[in-house]
Amino acid sequence: MKAISNSAEATEEIGFKIGRKLKTGNIVRLYGDLGAGKTTMVKGIARALGIDRKDITSASFTIITEYPGNPPFFHIDLYRTSGGVDLDSTGIWDCIGAQSISVIEWADHAEGELPEDSLKVTISDLGNDVRDITIEGKNEKDWDHL
Amino acid sequence: MLILGIDTSCDDTSASVVEDGRKILSNIVSSQSDIHTKYGGIVPELASRRHIEMIIPVVDEALQQAGISFSDLSAIAVCNGPGLIGSLLTGCSFAKAVCYSRHIPLIAVNHLEGHLLSVFLESSCPEFPFLSLIVSGGHTSLHVAEDFGRYVELGKTRDDAAGEAYDKVSKLLGLGYPGGPIIDRLAEKGDPKAIDFPRAYLPDSFDFSFSGLKTAVLQFLRKENLLEGPLPPNSKLLLDIAASFQAAVTDVLVRKTEWAVKKKWIRRITLSGGVAANSSLRKKMLAMGKEKEIGVFVPSVSLCTDNAAMIAAAGHHHFLKKDFAGLDLNPTAYLSLTAGKKERGNKSIL
Repeated sequence: MKAISNSAEATEEIGFKIGRKLKTGNIVRLYGDLGAGKTTMVKGIARALGIDRKDITSASFTIITEYPGNPPFFHIDLYRTSGGVDLDSTGIWDCIGAQSISVIEWADHAEGELPEDSLKVTISDLGNDVRDITIEGKNEKDWDHL
Repeated sequence: MLILGIDTSCDDTSASVVEDGRKILSNIVSSQSDIHTKYGGIVPELASRRHIEMIIPVVDEALQQAGISFSDLSAIAVCNGPGLIGSLLTGCSFAKAVCYSRHIPLIAVNHLEGHLLSVFLESSCPEFPFLSLIVSGGHTSLHVAEDFGRYVELGKTRDDAAGEAYDKVSKLLGLGYPGGPIIDRLAEKGDPKAIDFPRAYLPDSFDFSFSGLKTAVLQFLRKENLLEGPLPPNSKLLLDIAASFQAAVTDVLVRKTEWAVKKKWIRRITLSGGVAANSSLRKKMLAMGKEKEIGVFVPSVSLCTDNAAMIAAAGHHHFLKKDFAGLDLNPTAYLSLTAGKKERGNKSIL
């Protein structure tokens, strides 16, 4: 499914709608360039999971940010792993999986290693604050009516 | 009273002995930057493994330099968050083990409280209340410090920390890590008005935002076709980008602190955290203070970057209130400065 966002608020709102549909065990792979609005979208997803949007900040520094809860929510950011960091040494395998909900920014830095049955969300910057958002996944039809 | 402080919240292993909360007898910081530089930032798993190797030699050195042994200590103060969980765990586990075997109290100190109180290790320090701006690679926040242990958060970053913006822009420019000192050095020779990068003042709050600035630098580089290869070192354009970016960051930090002064009627400011080592930020904040007749207190550079002396100094004030942690203390990656006692364990050994 495709959507167009004209503002950071709209991107966050689409994130919120995605977040509402997530279940324990779900993994969202997030693609998009620097400044595309990935963390903005994570704010929306997290808000749908009952986390204060203000508590979601960039995870580039820590790579993994855990938000305890039932299930726990993991905000993962692989931005810095392109420099040759072994994915195993980030510890992400202890986080993503059946017991949690996780969102992975810069999923392209782990292409081929992340579970394919996860949800794929791509944000493309079309210029002038317009973003094209594509949502693909195993059960794609589920996402037609956000 | 002698307190051993331990900080392993991020990539530096640090131990320090401080007397009566003011006098530093030793402050050992073992930097890991050589390990992480090639990755353009800290790799949490590598950091925690390195802490395990370094914690005992660093603590030994801190005691030796202070000329004391474990039996001279009144307590151990350890940073239990915020920070990288694996890193924090090393320091906390070590501190708990020593306190248990030596029968001395354990004190949990929030890393941000350490930064906030670091100024008390200098000869010139403010009276309460004061405004505290903490800026580092992982944090950007503004607090009112009403007294020891009483802090009110006014605002924090909504996205990237100031230091993180430096790292990301440094990477975009093909420069190294950490970005702060590199850009600071280049900026000295550039024109801060050359490029008008946006400043997110967010006028209706004391929050900060540096994500848009990073995007603006990216868009500028894209527009000028500068993303393909690194700009020649010391080229005028590179220096101007560095200076203009730095001006945008420091303008917002200084101006918003100035707003807080007006709004809160508090005429004393402290500036601390790793980014407080930035020469331009120090200069601008001091100049603003001089112009507006506001007391600006900035610790020396070695006390701005992560260190354990600030943890020991903060620990001293917990000790005076008998605010001890239990041996069931667990570190917390996300810990606000206003968090309650429940995060600090409860089964006191005393």
